[in-house]
Amino acid sequence: MGGVWRGVFGYLFLVLMVRVAGRRPGKQITPFEFVFVFFAGGLTLTSMVGDDRSLLNAVGLIASIALTHFLMVWARQHWPVFGRIADGTPLVLLEKGRWRPDTMRRMRLQHDDVMAAARDKGLERLDQIAYAFLERNGEISIIPAED
Amino acid sequence: MPADIETKQIEDSVAKINNEVAVGSDLEFQRRWWRFEHILWLALTALVILDALGFFGRGWFAKAEAKTPDGSMRIEYERIERFGAPSLLTIHFGQNAVRNGGIQLWASDSLLHELGSQRLIPQADRSALDGHGILYTWVAAPQPDSVQFSMQPAKVGSAWLTLRVPGADQMRLKIAIFP
Repeated sequence: MGGVWRGVFGYLFLVLMVRVAGRRPGKQITPFEFVFVFFAGGLTLTSMVGDDRSLLNAVGLIASIALTHFLMVWARQHWPVFGRIADGTPLVLLEKGRWRPDTMRRMRLQHDDVMAAARDKGLERLDQIAYAFLERNGEISIIPAED
Repeated sequence: MPADIETKQIEDSVAKINNEVAVGSDLEFQRRWWRFEHILWLALTALVILDALGFFGRGWFAKAEAKTPDGSMRIEYERIERFGAPSLLTIHFGQNAVRNGGIQLWASDSLLHELGSQRLIPQADRSALDGHGILYTWVAAPQPDSVQFSMQPAKVGSAWLTLRVPGADQMRLKIAIFP
């Protein structure tokens, strides 16, 4: 029984930590952010399992985490506010030749990060970008300027 | 006959920027979230500092020492324990703890139930249930001047541990056990 609650708590705590520690998964993730993700996951696992290495404990934990995840996704779909809390909202980083410095600073992003995403789209210079957005999944998406 | 597939006309449901790109950005919400993040970072910093100081066990604040008024026992223990984490409780006996060539120690049963005593070093020559506790006896010479209980708390909450050398003052310790 205790394992189930530990699993639910561990899942929700990790979601909160990853959400707060930064929205930079995917292409923008750096090696030291990998360290955070794996370290936090490993440490959570240790306290979730404890000294109970039984198959039933593992089944209970996995089932409780799966159910919590399902409920999160369901709540996100039904209540837009919950979706914004869980996933955040897309953010404008660059708009028609002007940076949004406050957003860049608070999201701990640099101009290089936007330019890296632009190069992915075949763009060579910042002035070729019309809009740059930080998406909810942490990716930076680029809309090229019209010639 | 296959069932009809439900369809719905698309609407302009995603907020646009400059009336051009449908982004769905909500800067007001994000500003509130940033304020929440700021508070959370402060709370996490406080948590780390308190943890490093031992307010959640295993540190300077958690370590405690108690002494009976008659000097029969001096106890080193942790006033804050953690569930399932090993810890030590050491009892140093005074000269007046030796009676009839041996030492006896009575410990309340919370030592076993809440605090999860695993091992006693050195082992007692005799141990017997006595009321709501256990009476340990060391008779073989030389008598130990200190004994150590190795513990692994088995319940979350608080535990009262009573220790007594029969015929001498008793010591009652309150120990918090954190999850």
